[in-house]
Amino acid sequence: MAVRQKKRRKIKKIVYLLILPAMVFLFCFTFYPFLKAIYLSFFVTDTLGNPGTFVGLKNYIRIFTSDGFLASVVATFKFAGIVGVGTFFLSMFFAYFSLENRKGSKVYQTMFALPIALSSVPISAIAIYILGRNGLLNELLGTDIAWLSTESTALFACAAVTIWASVGSSYIFLLVGFRNVDESLLESAIIDGAGYFKRFIKVYVPIASPQIYFVVFLNIIHSFKSFAIVKLLVGAGPNDSTNVLIYAIYSNAFLRGRFETACVYAMVLCAVIFLFSRLQKIFEKRAVHYQ
Amino acid sequence: MKKAKHNSSVQILTAAGRRKKNKERLGYALRVLMGICFISPLAIGVLFSFVPNEFLNSLPTFDTILQNFTLENYQHLFSSIPVLRYVSNSLTLCLIIISVQIIVSCLAAYAFSCFNFPGKDFFFNLILIAMMIPGQVTTITNYLTVQGMGLINTYIGLCLPYFVGGTAIFMMRQFFLTLPKELKEASLLDGCGDMRFLFRIAMPLAVPTIASLGIYIFIDIYNLYFWPMLVAQDPNMFTVQIGMSMLVSSGAVEYGRVLAGAVISILIPLVAFIIGEGYLIKGMTAGAVKG
Repeated sequence: MAVRQKKRRKIKKIVYLLILPAMVFLFCFTFYPFLKAIYLSFFVTDTLGNPGTFVGLKNYIRIFTSDGFLASVVATFKFAGIVGVGTFFLSMFFAYFSLENRKGSKVYQTMFALPIALSSVPISAIAIYILGRNGLLNELLGTDIAWLSTESTALFACAAVTIWASVGSSYIFLLVGFRNVDESLLESAIIDGAGYFKRFIKVYVPIASPQIYFVVFLNIIHSFKSFAIVKLLVGAGPNDSTNVLIYAIYSNAFLRGRFETACVYAMVLCAVIFLFSRLQKIFEKRAVHYQ
Repeated sequence: MKKAKHNSSVQILTAAGRRKKNKERLGYALRVLMGICFISPLAIGVLFSFVPNEFLNSLPTFDTILQNFTLENYQHLFSSIPVLRYVSNSLTLCLIIISVQIIVSCLAAYAFSCFNFPGKDFFFNLILIAMMIPGQVTTITNYLTVQGMGLINTYIGLCLPYFVGGTAIFMMRQFFLTLPKELKEASLLDGCGDMRFLFRIAMPLAVPTIASLGIYIFIDIYNLYFWPMLVAQDPNMFTVQIGMSMLVSSGAVEYGRVLAGAVISILIPLVAFIIGEGYLIKGMTAGAVKG
């Protein structure tokens, strides 16, 4: 008995050692900075990010009542909406289109999934070439529009590039979902006379609904975090039209040295992302059809 | 008569079969064509990186591309910026982060999957909560921490926030949970200690999972933008993505050099993707959706 107890105690110690490194890193680089961001948002900071005087909620009030903030929130949701809808329909289309798992299907599957491997930097570089004033798109369309520096098109241009970059991962998830459909289920649907489109709505969509919900929210949440493409293509954009929250965080902290403002924006972004993750959970619980 | 009828029916069958086969071929060609269309921006970027800069301000025709095919953009790129230095920085970063993250997450995952200990749920929930805090929100304050530690422009400063990853812990845990309990009991009876079991038995069995994790982390880290942009300020410490993004954002855009830079920065992750596509997809979809 004594021996057994001793052995147990020894195991316990090892276990805490095992999780120690992970916990230390989590605390230092996730929890601590998160709490510090909350803390800093109540202060006025100097340009090096040191807290000065405590101002309570004044930072929040100042920012929430500013025009720039509202524009930033609007831009963020507009961007998320376009990216979410665009990526969703495009990846649904590609996934349903390349459903069959045949010998050569890996060729086009790889093509559709390829952007996963690409960083936002080369994607932006190519996008600048295509969307620039004397770029390819204008040559092809015979137009003369500076897609990236016109207020009405800048956000759409960024969204289009982001959609292209994020279709790949959605495609993979949806393909996995669609291929979960049982052969027998499909056969009975065909016998019942369900056509290509009807089979999609009545068979594939319900079965793949976990993946579909996942993909919808994945893209929305991803778009909130999409920084590189916005920064490299347009920055804050003409008339702040693409000054999405994530870019506002960056520009306040590192271009203007206003760390407390950046922290308030970061809190808002965090709240928005948190809200959407909760929504995702709720939707997954309620509406997902499990067999 | 009877024979003739039989023959004609065979003919009809084969005709139908041929039609079906043709339809399949057409479908396949259509899918590949669509894949090509989808990937065409990338193909255009790659192709035009071999065209001299002066032809890129208007749409080059096929003849100009063929006649002027050149490596001049690449020569120009390599002579103007230390590309190889950037690549080696990126690879060093990936190597450090992949090794640390895999070891840290194996240790933690082993604790969470094979042991019971007081506080297990608490610590596991901490990881879940940490995964919900978006990295973009903690970036500013992490930057202040790293700056305070004097680690700007160091590899360690570049790596620090990425030493632990929720996804990695989850993936490893999921694998360790599939190991039969008897395996551990048997090896304990044979006098194999807990740590020895992890390093000698569990981790070697987990090599496929570790491989998908490795590729997943590699592509993620190689393509990082926000964090290295802040921490690597000295051109000697630039990663590929940061170095190439400097070409994009430096006022007068020289398309030829930008496209050549894009191709260079795409190259390695693209090869990793094509080699490890199966692994990567496994890594992406593991644990993401419970379908």
